[in-house]
Amino acid sequence: MSLVATYDPALSPAGAARPVVRRGLRQVSDVELRLKALMLLALDGDAAASNALLTALAPPLRRYFARRLGQDAAEVEDLVQETLIAVHTKRHTYDAHQPLTPWVYAIARYRLADHFRRNRRRGETALEDAGQLIAPGDFDAAEARRDLARLLEALPERQRRLVMDVKVEGRSIEETSARTGLSQSAVKVAVHRAVNALAKRFRDANG
Amino acid sequence: MQTDDLIAQLAGDRRSSSSMLRLLALAIVASLVGSFLVMMLGGWGMRPDLHQAMRTGPFWMKAGYSIAFAVAGVALIERLGRPGGRGRVGWMVLALAVAAIVALAVAELASMPMAGWHADMMGHSSQICALSITLISAPAFAAIVWMLRRMAPTRPHLAGIAAGLLASGLGATVYGLFCQETGAAFTAIWYTSAMLIWPAIGALVGGRLLRW
Repeated sequence: MSLVATYDPALSPAGAARPVVRRGLRQVSDVELRLKALMLLALDGDAAASNALLTALAPPLRRYFARRLGQDAAEVEDLVQETLIAVHTKRHTYDAHQPLTPWVYAIARYRLADHFRRNRRRGETALEDAGQLIAPGDFDAAEARRDLARLLEALPERQRRLVMDVKVEGRSIEETSARTGLSQSAVKVAVHRAVNALAKRFRDANG
Repeated sequence: MQTDDLIAQLAGDRRSSSSMLRLLALAIVASLVGSFLVMMLGGWGMRPDLHQAMRTGPFWMKAGYSIAFAVAGVALIERLGRPGGRGRVGWMVLALAVAAIVALAVAELASMPMAGWHADMMGHSSQICALSITLISAPAFAAIVWMLRRMAPTRPHLAGIAAGLLASGLGATVYGLFCQETGAAFTAIWYTSAMLIWPAIGALVGGRLLRW
Protein backbone atom coordinates (compact mmCIF):
# COMPACT_ATOMS: atom_id res chain seq x y z
CA MET A 1 0.00 0.00 0.00
CA SER A 2 1.42 3.33 -0.96
CA LEU A 3 1.19 6.30 1.32
CA VAL A 4 1.94 8.70 -1.49
CA ALA A 5 -0.83 11.22 -2.05
CA THR A 6 -2.64 10.43 -5.26
CA TYR A 7 -4.97 12.50 -7.32
CA ASP A 8 -8.51 11.23 -7.34
CA PRO A 9 -10.73 13.33 -9.59
CA ALA A 10 -13.85 11.81 -8.12
CA LEU A 11 -13.11 13.41 -4.79
CA SER A 12 -12.14 16.84 -6.05
CA PRO A 13 -14.56 19.70 -6.38
CA ALA A 14 -15.01 20.64 -10.04
CA GLY A 15 -12.13 22.66 -11.38
CA ALA A 16 -10.03 22.41 -8.25
CA ALA A 17 -7.36 19.99 -9.35
CA ARG A 18 -5.74 19.44 -5.97
CA PRO A 19 -4.15 16.21 -4.87
CA VAL A 20 -6.03 14.35 -2.17
CA VAL A 21 -4.84 11.84 0.30
CA ARG A 22 -5.97 8.33 -0.55
CA ARG A 23 -9.59 8.02 0.38
CA GLY A 24 -9.02 4.93 2.50
CA LEU A 25 -6.52 6.67 4.70
CA ARG A 26 -8.66 9.73 5.27
CA GLN A 27 -11.60 7.55 6.22
CA VAL A 28 -9.45 5.54 8.55
CA SER A 29 -8.32 8.63 10.39
CA ASP A 30 -11.90 9.82 10.95
CA VAL A 31 -12.98 6.36 11.97
CA GLU A 32 -9.92 6.10 14.17
CA LEU A 33 -10.86 9.17 16.20
CA ARG A 34 -14.40 7.96 16.73
CA LEU A 35 -13.42 4.40 17.61
CA LYS A 36 -10.68 5.51 19.96
CA ALA A 37 -13.11 7.77 21.80
CA LEU A 38 -15.47 4.81 22.18
CA MET A 39 -12.62 2.60 23.38
CA LEU A 40 -11.59 5.08 26.06
CA LEU A 41 -15.17 5.20 27.31
CA ALA A 42 -15.39 1.42 27.18
CA LEU A 43 -12.22 1.15 29.24
CA ASP A 44 -13.93 3.33 31.82
CA GLY A 45 -16.69 0.73 32.04
CA ASP A 46 -19.22 2.38 29.71
CA ALA A 47 -21.26 -0.57 28.40
CA ALA A 48 -23.02 1.45 25.71
CA ALA A 49 -19.71 2.68 24.32
CA SER A 50 -18.37 -0.86 24.42
CA ASN A 51 -21.39 -2.07 22.49
CA ALA A 52 -21.06 0.74 19.94
CA LEU A 53 -17.34 0.03 19.54
CA LEU A 54 -17.73 -3.69 18.95
CA THR A 55 -20.68 -3.09 16.63
CA ALA A 56 -18.63 -0.60 14.61
CA LEU A 57 -15.64 -2.97 14.43
CA ALA A 58 -17.60 -5.97 13.16
CA PRO A 59 -18.15 -4.88 9.51
CA PRO A 60 -14.55 -3.87 8.77
CA LEU A 61 -13.32 -7.05 10.46
CA ARG A 62 -15.77 -9.07 8.36
CA ARG A 63 -14.32 -7.46 5.22
CA TYR A 64 -10.78 -8.01 6.46
CA PHE A 65 -11.30 -11.74 6.99
CA ALA A 66 -13.47 -12.20 3.90
CA ARG A 67 -10.71 -10.74 1.73
CA ARG A 68 -8.27 -13.29 3.14
CA LEU A 69 -10.43 -16.36 3.50
CA GLY A 70 -12.66 -16.17 0.49
CA GLN A 71 -16.37 -16.27 1.00
CA ASP A 72 -16.86 -18.96 3.61
CA ALA A 73 -19.21 -16.82 5.66
CA ALA A 74 -19.32 -19.14 8.67
CA GLU A 75 -15.56 -19.23 8.98
CA VAL A 76 -15.29 -15.48 8.51
CA GLU A 77 -17.92 -14.93 11.17
CA ASP A 78 -16.09 -17.25 13.57
CA LEU A 79 -12.97 -15.14 13.20
CA VAL A 80 -14.91 -11.88 13.55
CA GLN A 81 -16.34 -13.18 16.81
CA GLU A 82 -12.98 -14.45 18.07
CA THR A 83 -11.49 -11.04 17.35
CA LEU A 84 -14.31 -9.16 19.07
CA ILE A 85 -13.95 -11.39 22.10
CA ALA A 86 -10.21 -10.66 22.18
CA VAL A 87 -10.81 -6.91 21.75
CA HIS A 88 -13.01 -7.10 24.82
CA THR A 89 -11.07 -9.49 27.05
CA LYS A 90 -7.65 -8.07 26.13
CA ARG A 91 -8.73 -4.43 26.27
CA HIS A 92 -6.26 -3.72 29.08
CA THR A 93 -3.43 -4.32 26.59
CA TYR A 94 -4.52 -1.28 24.58
CA ASP A 95 -2.19 1.65 25.16
CA ALA A 96 -4.26 4.84 25.21
CA HIS A 97 -1.29 6.81 23.86
CA GLN A 98 -1.42 4.82 20.64
CA PRO A 99 -4.02 4.76 17.85
CA LEU A 100 -6.67 2.08 18.25
CA THR A 101 -7.03 0.64 14.76
CA PRO A 102 -3.50 -0.80 14.50
CA TRP A 103 -4.12 -2.53 17.83
CA VAL A 104 -7.38 -4.03 16.57
CA TYR A 105 -5.77 -5.16 13.31
CA ALA A 106 -2.84 -6.68 15.17
CA ILE A 107 -5.40 -8.79 17.04
CA ALA A 108 -7.20 -9.65 13.80
CA ARG A 109 -3.93 -10.60 12.12
CA TYR A 110 -2.98 -12.78 15.08
CA ARG A 111 -6.37 -14.52 15.07
CA LEU A 112 -6.01 -15.14 11.33
CA ALA A 113 -2.50 -16.57 11.72
CA ASP A 114 -3.78 -18.74 14.56
CA HIS A 115 -6.62 -19.92 12.34
CA PHE A 116 -4.23 -20.94 9.57
CA ARG A 117 -1.97 -22.66 12.10
CA ARG A 118 -4.85 -24.67 13.53
CA ASN A 119 -6.00 -25.72 10.07
CA ARG A 120 -2.53 -26.75 9.04
CA ARG A 121 -2.17 -28.83 12.17
CA ARG A 122 -5.50 -30.54 11.60
CA GLY A 123 -4.47 -31.05 7.99
CA GLU A 124 -1.40 -32.99 9.04
CA THR A 125 -3.52 -35.89 10.20
CA ALA A 126 -4.11 -37.49 6.85
CA LEU A 127 -7.26 -39.54 6.76
CA GLU A 128 -7.64 -41.59 3.67
CA ASP A 129 -10.25 -43.79 5.23
CA ALA A 130 -12.74 -41.13 6.23
CA GLY A 131 -15.11 -42.64 3.67
CA GLN A 132 -15.45 -45.91 5.54
CA LEU A 133 -16.44 -44.42 8.81
CA ILE A 134 -20.18 -44.46 8.39
CA ALA A 135 -20.76 -48.16 8.55
CA PRO A 136 -24.09 -49.22 7.10
CA GLY A 137 -26.27 -50.24 10.00
CA ASP A 138 -28.87 -52.95 9.94
CA PHE A 139 -31.78 -50.57 10.26
CA ASP A 140 -33.79 -49.57 7.26
CA ALA A 141 -32.88 -46.60 5.16
CA ALA A 142 -35.78 -44.33 6.10
CA GLU A 143 -35.12 -44.73 9.77
CA ALA A 144 -31.46 -44.11 9.11
CA ARG A 145 -32.20 -40.87 7.33
CA ARG A 146 -34.43 -39.70 10.15
CA ASP A 147 -31.83 -40.56 12.77
CA LEU A 148 -29.11 -38.96 10.71
CA ALA A 149 -31.05 -35.71 10.47
CA ARG A 150 -31.54 -35.70 14.21
CA LEU A 151 -27.89 -36.43 14.87
CA LEU A 152 -26.73 -33.81 12.42
CA GLU A 153 -28.66 -31.18 14.31
CA ALA A 154 -26.30 -31.69 17.20
CA LEU A 155 -23.28 -30.68 15.14
CA PRO A 156 -21.97 -27.15 14.88
CA GLU A 157 -23.22 -25.40 11.78
CA ARG A 158 -19.93 -25.58 9.88
CA GLN A 159 -19.38 -29.29 10.51
CA ARG A 160 -22.98 -30.04 9.65
CA ARG A 161 -22.63 -28.33 6.31
CA LEU A 162 -19.45 -30.22 5.52
CA VAL A 163 -21.00 -33.54 6.44
CA MET A 164 -24.07 -32.73 4.38
CA ASP A 165 -21.91 -31.82 1.39
CA VAL A 166 -19.54 -34.75 1.52
CA LYS A 167 -21.46 -37.58 3.10
CA VAL A 168 -25.11 -36.88 2.32
CA GLU A 169 -25.00 -35.07 -0.98
CA GLY A 170 -21.92 -36.96 -2.09
CA ARG A 171 -19.80 -34.06 -3.25
CA SER A 172 -16.11 -34.74 -3.66
CA ILE A 173 -13.54 -33.45 -1.20
CA GLU A 174 -12.05 -31.32 -3.97
CA GLU A 175 -15.39 -29.77 -4.79
CA THR A 176 -16.20 -29.05 -1.15
CA SER A 177 -12.77 -27.62 -0.61
CA ALA A 178 -13.25 -25.26 -3.52
CA ARG A 179 -16.74 -24.28 -2.34
CA THR A 180 -15.72 -23.53 1.23
CA GLY A 181 -12.22 -22.24 0.72
CA LEU A 182 -10.93 -24.78 3.23
CA SER A 183 -7.96 -26.91 2.28
CA GLN A 184 -8.77 -30.45 1.17
CA SER A 185 -7.20 -31.97 4.23
CA ALA A 186 -9.08 -29.55 6.47
CA VAL A 187 -12.33 -30.70 4.85
CA LYS A 188 -11.39 -34.34 5.27
CA VAL A 189 -10.46 -33.92 8.89
CA ALA A 190 -13.46 -31.80 9.77
CA VAL A 191 -15.74 -34.40 8.19
CA HIS A 192 -13.89 -37.18 9.93
CA ARG A 193 -14.27 -35.47 13.28
CA ALA A 194 -17.92 -34.78 12.70
CA VAL A 195 -18.52 -38.39 11.74
CA ASN A 196 -16.67 -39.60 14.81
CA ALA A 197 -18.73 -37.29 16.98
CA LEU A 198 -21.88 -38.59 15.31
CA ALA A 199 -20.84 -42.20 15.77
CA LYS A 200 -20.18 -41.59 19.45
CA ARG A 201 -23.52 -39.85 19.88
CA PHE A 202 -25.23 -42.67 18.06
CA ARG A 203 -23.58 -45.30 20.26
CA ASP A 204 -24.47 -43.35 23.40
CA ALA A 205 -28.04 -42.89 22.27
CA ASN A 206 -28.38 -46.61 21.57
CA GLY A 207 -26.86 -47.72 24.81
CA MET B 1 -24.25 -17.48 18.25
CA GLN B 2 -25.13 -14.38 16.30
CA THR B 3 -22.46 -11.71 16.34
CA ASP B 4 -24.91 -9.10 17.61
CA ASP B 5 -25.81 -11.31 20.58
CA LEU B 6 -22.14 -11.86 21.27
CA ILE B 7 -21.51 -8.11 21.24
CA ALA B 8 -24.38 -7.48 23.63
CA GLN B 9 -23.01 -10.15 25.92
CA LEU B 10 -19.47 -8.77 25.81
CA ALA B 11 -20.61 -5.19 26.38
CA GLY B 12 -22.70 -6.34 29.33
CA ASP B 13 -19.71 -8.06 30.91
CA ARG B 14 -19.12 -5.86 33.94
CA ARG B 15 -15.96 -7.55 35.16
CA SER B 16 -13.21 -4.98 35.05
CA SER B 17 -10.13 -6.00 33.18
CA SER B 18 -6.78 -6.03 34.90
CA SER B 19 -4.22 -3.40 34.00
CA MET B 20 -0.82 -4.06 32.46
CA LEU B 21 0.82 -2.26 35.35
CA ARG B 22 -0.93 -4.32 38.00
CA LEU B 23 -0.10 -7.56 36.19
CA LEU B 24 3.56 -6.60 35.92
CA ALA B 25 3.78 -5.54 39.57
CA LEU B 26 2.08 -8.72 40.71
CA ALA B 27 4.38 -10.93 38.65
CA ILE B 28 7.51 -9.12 39.84
CA VAL B 29 6.53 -9.46 43.51
CA ALA B 30 5.67 -13.14 43.00
CA SER B 31 8.99 -13.65 41.18
CA LEU B 32 11.07 -12.09 43.94
CA VAL B 33 9.27 -14.04 46.66
CA GLY B 34 9.56 -17.29 44.70
CA SER B 35 13.23 -16.83 43.87
CA PHE B 36 14.05 -15.80 47.43
CA LEU B 37 12.30 -18.87 48.83
CA VAL B 38 14.16 -21.17 46.43
CA MET B 39 17.44 -19.58 47.44
CA MET B 40 16.75 -19.82 51.19
CA LEU B 41 15.24 -23.30 51.15
CA GLY B 42 17.38 -24.73 48.36
CA GLY B 43 20.68 -24.62 50.26
CA TRP B 44 22.13 -21.31 49.05
CA GLY B 45 21.11 -18.87 51.77
CA MET B 46 22.44 -15.34 52.12
CA ARG B 47 26.12 -14.52 52.35
CA PRO B 48 27.10 -13.97 55.99
CA ASP B 49 28.83 -10.65 55.27
CA LEU B 50 25.88 -9.17 53.37
CA HIS B 51 25.83 -6.00 55.47
CA GLN B 52 29.44 -5.10 54.78
CA ALA B 53 29.18 -6.22 51.15
CA MET B 54 26.31 -3.83 50.55
CA ARG B 55 28.70 -0.97 51.17
CA THR B 56 31.06 -2.11 48.39
CA GLY B 57 31.10 -1.39 44.69
CA PRO B 58 31.20 -4.97 43.35
CA PHE B 59 27.96 -5.87 45.12
CA TRP B 60 26.15 -3.04 43.36
CA MET B 61 27.90 -3.68 40.07
CA LYS B 62 26.45 -7.20 40.01
CA ALA B 63 23.09 -6.00 41.31
CA GLY B 64 23.03 -3.17 38.78
CA TYR B 65 23.81 -5.55 35.96
CA SER B 66 21.09 -8.04 36.85
CA ILE B 67 18.58 -5.27 37.59
CA ALA B 68 19.34 -3.86 34.12
CA PHE B 69 18.26 -7.21 32.64
CA ALA B 70 15.06 -7.01 34.65
CA VAL B 71 14.46 -3.43 33.51
CA ALA B 72 15.01 -4.48 29.89
CA GLY B 73 12.56 -7.33 30.44
CA VAL B 74 9.91 -5.02 31.89
CA ALA B 75 10.33 -2.53 29.05
CA LEU B 76 10.05 -5.34 26.49
CA ILE B 77 7.03 -6.96 28.12
CA GLU B 78 5.27 -3.62 28.41
CA ARG B 79 5.49 -3.42 24.61
CA LEU B 80 5.53 -7.04 23.45
CA GLY B 81 2.66 -7.93 25.78
CA ARG B 82 0.37 -5.80 23.60
CA PRO B 83 -0.91 -6.76 20.15
CA GLY B 84 1.42 -5.40 17.50
CA GLY B 85 3.93 -4.16 20.08
CA ARG B 86 7.65 -3.97 19.39
CA GLY B 87 10.31 -3.51 22.04
CA ARG B 88 12.98 -1.11 20.87
CA VAL B 89 13.74 0.57 24.20
CA GLY B 90 14.07 -2.75 26.01
CA TRP B 91 16.60 -4.10 23.50
CA MET B 92 18.59 -0.88 23.85
CA VAL B 93 18.69 -1.17 27.65
CA LEU B 94 19.89 -4.75 27.28
CA ALA B 95 22.59 -3.81 24.78
CA LEU B 96 23.79 -0.94 26.97
CA ALA B 97 23.94 -3.17 30.05
CA VAL B 98 25.98 -5.81 28.25
CA ALA B 99 28.26 -3.17 26.72
CA ALA B 100 28.82 -1.62 30.15
CA ILE B 101 29.76 -4.89 31.87
CA VAL B 102 32.04 -5.88 29.00
CA ALA B 103 33.78 -2.48 29.26
CA LEU B 104 34.21 -2.92 33.03
CA ALA B 105 35.53 -6.45 32.50
CA VAL B 106 38.03 -5.31 29.90
CA ALA B 107 39.21 -2.48 32.15
CA GLU B 108 39.56 -4.90 35.05
CA LEU B 109 41.60 -7.40 33.04
CA ALA B 110 43.74 -4.64 31.54
CA SER B 111 44.69 -3.51 35.02
CA MET B 112 46.18 -6.86 36.04
CA PRO B 113 48.97 -9.10 34.71
CA MET B 114 47.81 -11.70 32.21
CA ALA B 115 48.76 -14.46 34.63
CA GLY B 116 45.87 -13.44 36.88
CA TRP B 117 43.22 -13.43 34.17
CA HIS B 118 42.19 -17.03 34.45
CA ALA B 119 41.67 -16.88 38.22
CA ASP B 120 39.81 -13.58 37.88
CA MET B 121 37.45 -14.88 35.24
CA MET B 122 36.75 -18.16 37.03
CA GLY B 123 36.31 -16.72 40.54
CA HIS B 124 35.38 -19.28 43.18
CA SER B 125 31.90 -20.19 42.02
CA SER B 126 31.99 -20.40 38.24
CA GLN B 127 30.92 -24.05 38.41
CA ILE B 128 27.68 -23.32 40.23
CA CYS B 129 26.89 -19.79 39.08
CA ALA B 130 24.91 -20.40 35.89
CA LEU B 131 23.03 -23.40 37.22
CA SER B 132 22.21 -21.61 40.49
CA ILE B 133 20.87 -18.51 38.78
CA THR B 134 18.82 -20.63 36.41
CA LEU B 135 17.27 -22.67 39.23
CA ILE B 136 16.61 -19.63 41.42
CA SER B 137 14.99 -17.88 38.44
CA ALA B 138 12.65 -20.77 37.69
CA PRO B 139 9.70 -19.60 39.85
CA ALA B 140 10.15 -16.11 38.40
CA PHE B 141 9.88 -17.47 34.87
CA ALA B 142 6.70 -19.32 35.78
CA ALA B 143 5.14 -16.20 37.34
CA ILE B 144 6.07 -14.03 34.37
CA VAL B 145 4.75 -16.49 31.80
CA TRP B 146 1.52 -16.62 33.82
CA MET B 147 1.36 -12.84 33.60
CA LEU B 148 2.14 -12.73 29.87
CA ARG B 149 -0.65 -15.18 29.18
CA ARG B 150 -2.99 -12.57 30.60
CA MET B 151 -1.65 -10.05 28.12
CA ALA B 152 -1.85 -10.47 24.36
CA PRO B 153 1.59 -10.95 22.81
CA THR B 154 1.46 -11.25 19.03
CA ARG B 155 5.19 -12.05 18.80
CA PRO B 156 5.24 -14.92 21.27
CA HIS B 157 8.85 -15.95 20.70
CA LEU B 158 10.14 -12.46 21.40
CA ALA B 159 7.76 -12.19 24.35
CA GLY B 160 9.23 -15.47 25.62
CA ILE B 161 12.71 -13.96 25.41
CA ALA B 162 11.47 -10.91 27.31
CA ALA B 163 9.95 -13.15 29.98
CA GLY B 164 13.29 -14.96 30.31
CA LEU B 165 15.22 -11.68 30.61
CA LEU B 166 12.95 -10.38 33.36
CA ALA B 167 12.93 -13.72 35.18
CA SER B 168 16.69 -14.21 35.14
CA GLY B 169 17.30 -10.53 35.90
CA LEU B 170 15.20 -10.86 39.04
CA GLY B 171 16.58 -14.30 39.90
CA ALA B 172 20.18 -13.16 39.48
CA THR B 173 19.51 -10.11 41.64
CA VAL B 174 18.25 -12.41 44.40
CA TYR B 175 21.23 -14.72 43.84
CA GLY B 176 23.48 -11.67 44.34
CA LEU B 177 22.54 -11.84 48.03
CA PHE B 178 24.35 -15.19 48.17
CA CYS B 179 27.12 -14.76 45.61
CA GLN B 180 30.42 -13.42 46.99
CA GLU B 181 32.18 -12.83 43.68
CA THR B 182 33.57 -9.36 43.13
CA GLY B 183 35.01 -9.42 39.63
CA ALA B 184 33.59 -7.57 36.63
CA ALA B 185 35.05 -10.21 34.31
CA PHE B 186 33.39 -12.96 36.34
CA THR B 187 30.08 -11.11 36.17
CA ALA B 188 30.41 -10.45 32.46
CA ILE B 189 31.06 -14.12 31.69
CA TRP B 190 29.01 -16.07 34.22
CA TYR B 191 26.08 -13.79 35.01
CA THR B 192 25.58 -13.03 31.35
CA SER B 193 25.56 -16.65 30.25
CA ALA B 194 23.35 -17.56 33.23
CA MET B 195 20.88 -14.81 32.40
CA LEU B 196 20.61 -15.95 28.79
CA ILE B 197 19.37 -19.44 29.63
CA TRP B 198 15.76 -18.54 30.45
CA PRO B 199 15.54 -16.15 27.48
CA ALA B 200 16.70 -19.02 25.25
CA ILE B 201 14.11 -21.33 26.77
CA GLY B 202 11.53 -18.55 26.43
CA ALA B 203 12.32 -18.20 22.74
CA LEU B 204 11.82 -21.93 22.27
CA VAL B 205 8.61 -22.38 24.26
CA GLY B 206 7.09 -18.91 23.76
CA GLY B 207 5.16 -19.94 20.69
CA ARG B 208 3.51 -22.73 22.64
CA LEU B 209 3.12 -21.22 26.12
CA LEU B 210 2.05 -17.74 25.11
CA ARG B 211 -0.61 -18.62 22.56
CA TRP B 212 -4.00 -17.05 23.16
